[in-house]
Amino acid sequence: MKALPRASRLIALFCFSVFLLISFTFTPSYAADVGNCLLCHKYPGISRVDEEGKLRLFYVNESIFSNSVHAKVKCEGCHTDIKKIPHDVAKKVDCLVECHIIEPSSEKKFSHKDVKEFLGKSVHGPIDKEGKEKKYIEDYPTCKDCHDNPLYRPLSFFKKVRPGISEASLGRCRVCHKKEEFIYRFYNHVTTRLHKSRNPLNIAEVCARCHDNPEIVARHEMSTKAVFSYGETFHGKAARFLDERVPDCLDCHISKGESVHQMLPKEDPASSIHADNKGKICTNIDCHPSASPKLAKYSVHAEFNLKQSPAQYFFTVFFIILTGGTLLPLMFIILLDIIRRFFPNATIGRRK
Amino acid sequence: MKQFFFKIYMIAFMALTVFFIAIIWKVTFAHIIEEHHERTESQEIAKYKEEQVEKSKKTTFEKIILESDERVKHYLGYRILEEARIEGHFHHIGFDIGPDNRSYCVKCHGDMPHDAVKELRAFLNMHAFFVGCQTCHVKLEKTETTGVYKWYDRKTGDIVESPVKDNTPGTYNSKLIPFEKVDGKLVRVDSDERIEFAEEYRAHEKSLTEAQKSRAKKLIHKVVSKKPYLCEDCHQKEKPILPFEAIGYSKERIDSITSTEVVGMIKNYTQFYMPSMLQPGSSNDKK
Repeated sequence: MKALPRASRLIALFCFSVFLLISFTFTPSYAADVGNCLLCHKYPGISRVDEEGKLRLFYVNESIFSNSVHAKVKCEGCHTDIKKIPHDVAKKVDCLVECHIIEPSSEKKFSHKDVKEFLGKSVHGPIDKEGKEKKYIEDYPTCKDCHDNPLYRPLSFFKKVRPGISEASLGRCRVCHKKEEFIYRFYNHVTTRLHKSRNPLNIAEVCARCHDNPEIVARHEMSTKAVFSYGETFHGKAARFLDERVPDCLDCHISKGESVHQMLPKEDPASSIHADNKGKICTNIDCHPSASPKLAKYSVHAEFNLKQSPAQYFFTVFFIILTGGTLLPLMFIILLDIIRRFFPNATIGRRK
Repeated sequence: MKQFFFKIYMIAFMALTVFFIAIIWKVTFAHIIEEHHERTESQEIAKYKEEQVEKSKKTTFEKIILESDERVKHYLGYRILEEARIEGHFHHIGFDIGPDNRSYCVKCHGDMPHDAVKELRAFLNMHAFFVGCQTCHVKLEKTETTGVYKWYDRKTGDIVESPVKDNTPGTYNSKLIPFEKVDGKLVRVDSDERIEFAEEYRAHEKSLTEAQKSRAKKLIHKVVSKKPYLCEDCHQKEKPILPFEAIGYSKERIDSITSTEVVGMIKNYTQFYMPSMLQPGSSNDKK
């Protein structure tokens, strides 16, 4: 092969350098969209009303999606029936499908299949121990009743205005890992998983969709509107003020070290809220380690309800009457006094 | 003067006292009364549990339409993402755009009016999000055509600057509307007169006879052409209906929406589905 002249070699070298620079500097942020699905799905109006009158929105907000734990999953990883563009009406996504991500510890394709098994054995599973469908099966949750696309929530926040991404940590990552996009995503993913991926208030709101729904509460003969009564407690009130340190529903109802999908009914001896295990909830190392196990005996989900908690009910009523009975007459007397100052000579039925 | 200020002071004090009375009443005795009512209600629910189950299955207007406007706030620590929640929707929406207050079409047809052809309906609704109905559904006579299109604010209805360059594609707070020539003047097709006529029809609809309703509807839809503009009327390089440059599209965006990728996809769709869409009553139409 004839050697290239010096000028041509220089030009070739320059072009190659530019190519390398572009390849490494401008790593595409949204690598998941290799099928160019966002050509259409980036438009927010892409929607319709389905045959049952429900709004179906097909819009994908690219910048939010790229900050979610599924950012690396290609569209067709979940929407497996879409093989071509234009595509036919897409089938409902099966969350248990094996996607194109490789799970690093097993090197197998990633899937949420274990979740189904966990959920099946949990209090939220639709089938009972005898293999029969539970009553009101339509009330039992499926994936999307509790989950939307989980967003990155890095471990710390800087003045609550930007994610607390540690440049020092990123520097350590860069020693071995060269792709900026990978480092950023991995850091976010791991730090999101190192703490609650949802704020306690958000967790409570998710549970409230069913557990505060009076019809569901009545149908399943639950003793309380669970999230409402949680909201009455100190923990619930702190959660309402966005405190991250207070326990949410999952902290008490899941045994330490288990998945949130393994929530068991209180009658199950393995359940964290079983009478024999309840004491461990409050005294666990993250909450009140020096407290007595008896602390957990207080009525967590007590409502202002005569039938459910009569002692608390009468106690509260007493203080309500005491407060109202004192302050209301006082206010009324002040009001009368002001009226008298306006109309010093006014009388009703008194002789002048 | 002193007495006047004293009276003002006393009135303010009186208002404050009444305000406190109301608050104290609400948190004390009213709370007990409320609890009593709730308890009675929950006992009734428990009593008529089976009836409630049946009731909850009923697809009432209130349940489906009014209660579906749920909003959620995601507390991410460094950001609060507030958005509408659509039941069963997995992806985040992340922004809000108010309703189109100007359009008199959406008042009857809704803002997702396209439904007939299942392969196209989502695309057409996607366009309806930032393109006024009249842009595609009104074909003006030659004497009325101006080739002028402008953006109007969804909330106020006023003509505004093009939002295209400063926003992500399609996420505009404005919609496009054509202008026609009336007595030599440029007038927007959704003129105040047409809006007033449609509004009046809606106000009197219940009291009109069937014949009167038909006449009114005919007049409202008089400006609508039988065959709307089709996708390729705009998605083409040669003579697109919309003057892309004039309505604020950059060269890159024009290249993108008239690219082979987009035009090719439209061809694939229209080849199979579009002809049947334009023949009402054909079998494909009811897909």
